[in-house]
Amino acid sequence: MALSLSHGLVLAGLLAAAPSAQSAGDRPSDAVLTRGEYVFQAAGCYGCHTNDKHGGSPLAGGRALVTPFGTFYTPNITPDPESGIGKWSQQDFMQALRAGVGRNHAQLYPAFPYTSYTRMTDEDLHALWVYLQSRPAVKQANRPHDLKWFVSVRSLITLWKALYFTPGAYKPDPQKSTSWNRGAYLVLAMAHCGECHTPRNTLGAAKTSLAYAGTSHGPDDSVIPNITPDKATGIGRWTTGEFTAYLKNGMTPDGDFAGGLMAEEIDNSLQHLRKDDLTDIAEFIQSQPAVVNALHKADKKSSVKADWE
Amino acid sequence: MKQSIFRHHFLFTSVWLLLGASIMAHAAEPEDIIKYRQNVMKSQGGHMAAAAAIIQGKVDFKDQLLTHAKALEATTRFIPSMFPKDSDFGDTKALDAVWKNNAAFLKDAKNAQEKSLALLKAVEAGDTKAYGPRLKELSETCKACHKDFRKEDDQ
Repeated sequence: MALSLSHGLVLAGLLAAAPSAQSAGDRPSDAVLTRGEYVFQAAGCYGCHTNDKHGGSPLAGGRALVTPFGTFYTPNITPDPESGIGKWSQQDFMQALRAGVGRNHAQLYPAFPYTSYTRMTDEDLHALWVYLQSRPAVKQANRPHDLKWFVSVRSLITLWKALYFTPGAYKPDPQKSTSWNRGAYLVLAMAHCGECHTPRNTLGAAKTSLAYAGTSHGPDDSVIPNITPDKATGIGRWTTGEFTAYLKNGMTPDGDFAGGLMAEEIDNSLQHLRKDDLTDIAEFIQSQPAVVNALHKADKKSSVKADWE
Repeated sequence: MKQSIFRHHFLFTSVWLLLGASIMAHAAEPEDIIKYRQNVMKSQGGHMAAAAAIIQGKVDFKDQLLTHAKALEATTRFIPSMFPKDSDFGDTKALDAVWKNNAAFLKDAKNAQEKSLALLKAVEAGDTKAYGPRLKELSETCKACHKDFRKEDDQ
């Protein structure tokens, strides 16, 4: 008893000595941090906001996202006050994820998938905010986007939003099971699968009638596969077990392995999810309408230019 | 007569030698190399999925696991040689990084080789508890290499 008491005193002393601008009352609870970390993983923040391939610091941004509209360079979301989001309030953060509006009322490009994140609950957004604030600050200035002229005018985003953006948290469908609704929430609000797997129209909005049917014009010029339950062109032959195994370790039923963006997504995000969550994701995706959409890729050109080029 | 038979043989042999030499000297077409490596990779995928099904207890072909492990160990050795310099375009998903960042690519290939050897050793030793972890480690090398060196494409 005496021992555990002295233990407690030592611990209290250590906590008091820990350098922190926050008072003890402001310190986030472990439960919120744990929840925030899980939301962070499920939402896949790390992958886009870290320039992993070039040795970038976690969440300091600078990763290039090559799209048909130009190249976006993701921003620093560490708590650094100058180059990151250290000066943001929780309200600023909520506004960015819910409404696609940054601090100082800047309209955000939907390359940042607030179109999905807007579906998150207040509790999850709060936990994510708390978790992000707990990450180490990194000083690294944001790199400006390199966009085509017709998308470089930010005020046009307002018009785009009026046409295509419906803000608001996910509302569970009472006709469906709890697990289906959980899967829908994970897919629509957090993992944002449709941001890549649903083809976009010429203005970059999701073609909802072709939800999850894949596209030949994905980010980084990738072919994004059809993941609807169509047996011939989608993944209708996958069992739920094969589906969740793929989300966990990247192996398809025929022993191929995910690469590129999907391998990143598995490494940074999906492999960390609970088994029941992965099963719920599979349940939701497998309940989607099958869409026949075969995707083909043009032959790769040699990087070595011929004399006449 | 004897001489003519000799001459005949000599001519015949020379023709074959010349033909053989010309076939050997003829460099493989890049598209054939690409097709070959895709087929080897597909065979590896087949062995991976087959081994996984046995290890996870989905099927009861325990005696055949060793063959799958041997095939994986043998064919992962092929990976470095299957990506010669001129096989970087056409019907391939191999990214330019394979050649531009060749040291890292070879490191990934070596990693796959080592992990497949570790799986083979576990199977040879009958160390059933290690099957799952060794297979998982090998899986991770496949994914890691595809992540950096293969373009995502339709499946």
